[in-house]
Amino acid sequence: MLILSRKLGESIVIDGHIRVQVMRVEGDVVKLGIEAPMTVPVHRQEVYEEIQRSNQQALTKQSSPLPKLAGAAKPSAMPAKKMNLSKP
Amino acid sequence: MKCVESIEMEPPPAPTGKPVRLPMGLLGFEQIKDYVLVVNPGEEPFAWLRVEDNIALAFVVIDPFVVLPEYQPDIPPADVEFLGLKSAGDALLLGIVTVHGTSQATVNLKGPVVINRHTHTGKQVIIVNATQYSVQHPLPVADNVA
Repeated sequence: MLILSRKLGESIVIDGHIRVQVMRVEGDVVKLGIEAPMTVPVHRQEVYEEIQRSNQQALTKQSSPLPKLAGAAKPSAMPAKKMNLSKP
Repeated sequence: MKCVESIEMEPPPAPTGKPVRLPMGLLGFEQIKDYVLVVNPGEEPFAWLRVEDNIALAFVVIDPFVVLPEYQPDIPPADVEFLGLKSAGDALLLGIVTVHGTSQATVNLKGPVVINRHTHTGKQVIIVNATQYSVQHPLPVADNVA
C-alpha cells in the first residue's frame, strides 16, 4: 500500500482525473473531499461489505419455502414508482 | 365418435423465466453473471433470481416498492449510464430478500438490482441515498397463527 502524508487542504490526484482532498481533521475523524468524474462510483467500504454479507446470507435453494406476507404487501397494491435517475 | 386411445399427460408448464445478465455479478458473487428471473404462480410478490447454470442456487427477490411504497432510491449517474436507462420506466427494480427462518424475512434496500427492461441487463446498484435505507428492511411477514 502506498502511504502518503498530507496536510489539511492538501490533495492527491489519482489517474489524472480523481482528486482526493483533506477537508477537515477533527480528532480521529478525517473529512475527505473527492472530485471524480460521474462515471467513477465512490462508496464507503462498509456499505460494500454490508451488501456483500447480505447477498451471501440471501443465497438460497430454489425449493426453499417463502414466507407469507401480511395483507399490506400485495402485488395489486403496486404504488407509483419514485425512482430518481441522476443524469450523467 | 373417436375413441381416445391414450391420454397424454401434458408436461408441467416450464417456469416462465426471463434471462437477466448482470455483467458485474452481485457483490460477493462477481463471477456469476447469468441469471433467470422466475415468477411462480401463487408466489407473488416474490420472484426468484435463479443462477442460470446452477438450478439449485437462487436469490429470492421482491419489488421493493411493494414493501415500502415511499421508497425513493437515487440511482447513481454512472449506473444510469452503464444500464442505458432513459427514464424510470426503463428500469425494473428487485430487492434481494433474506429469509431468516419461517417468521422473519428482510429485503436489501441499500443495494437493489436494477435491470433495464429492454436489454435485460442489470447491476446491483448502491443507491446514492443508501444511508437512508437498511440492507435488512423487515418484510411484513404474516403470523403463522393467522
